[in-house]
Amino acid sequence: MILRGLASLVVLGLFALNLLLPSAAVTARGPENRVRTDISSDLAVGRALPPLELRDFQGRVHTREDLLGHRVLLTFERSVDW
Amino acid sequence: MIRVRLYRVLMGSLGIAFFLFGMALIASFFLYQRPHSTPLVTTGPIGHYFVAFAGCALVGWSGGLVGAARDPWASRSIGTMTIFALVLMAVIRMVAWIIGDYYEFAGEALRGEVAAFLAIALALIWTKPTVAESCGEGESG
Repeated sequence: MILRGLASLVVLGLFALNLLLPSAAVTARGPENRVRTDISSDLAVGRALPPLELRDFQGRVHTREDLLGHRVLLTFERSVDW
Repeated sequence: MIRVRLYRVLMGSLGIAFFLFGMALIASFFLYQRPHSTPLVTTGPIGHYFVAFAGCALVGWSGGLVGAARDPWASRSIGTMTIFALVLMAVIRMVAWIIGDYYEFAGEALRGEVAAFLAIALALIWTKPTVAESCGEGESG
């Protein structure tokens, strides 16, 4: 009975996590593909950088205007944002 | 006993569903081998190799499930491992929901599957025969 209770607690905890998934802090940004669609994909060499608003891990917001006039290296890394 | 009858129905239904799904995966592997075929599962040769592997595993698993449905007292460990696997599959789908590649493919269905797997796992936890019941059944049988 104790084992059943413990197993049920684990399952119910996962149930709750599944319900809270869209609003939990760990997934506050939503699925990664939604994050990616926030950014225009028509980037190409020789084309002007489209307007963007990117938030770094310290919470600072970076816009295209912040980058203009500087030599900038933009790197994009796949992450699940744990 | 209604509880054990429900367990047998659940295990039997899962067994039949897994057998059919496993055979469908195996069939999709063979159909993919035809020249100029359109893959039923949107993946390449390596992906189809693992699709066929998963299909064979599901067919094997289905045999165990049907066996447990026929004699739930003698096959308790199949129920335990099925519960474990269902919970594991739910966790994998939650991670897949977070990662966009899978979300593009399956969308919110992933979270629906999580709920379904956990509900089945919970039902199996509470309907599975206990050790005492299995011993009693062994003595009487």
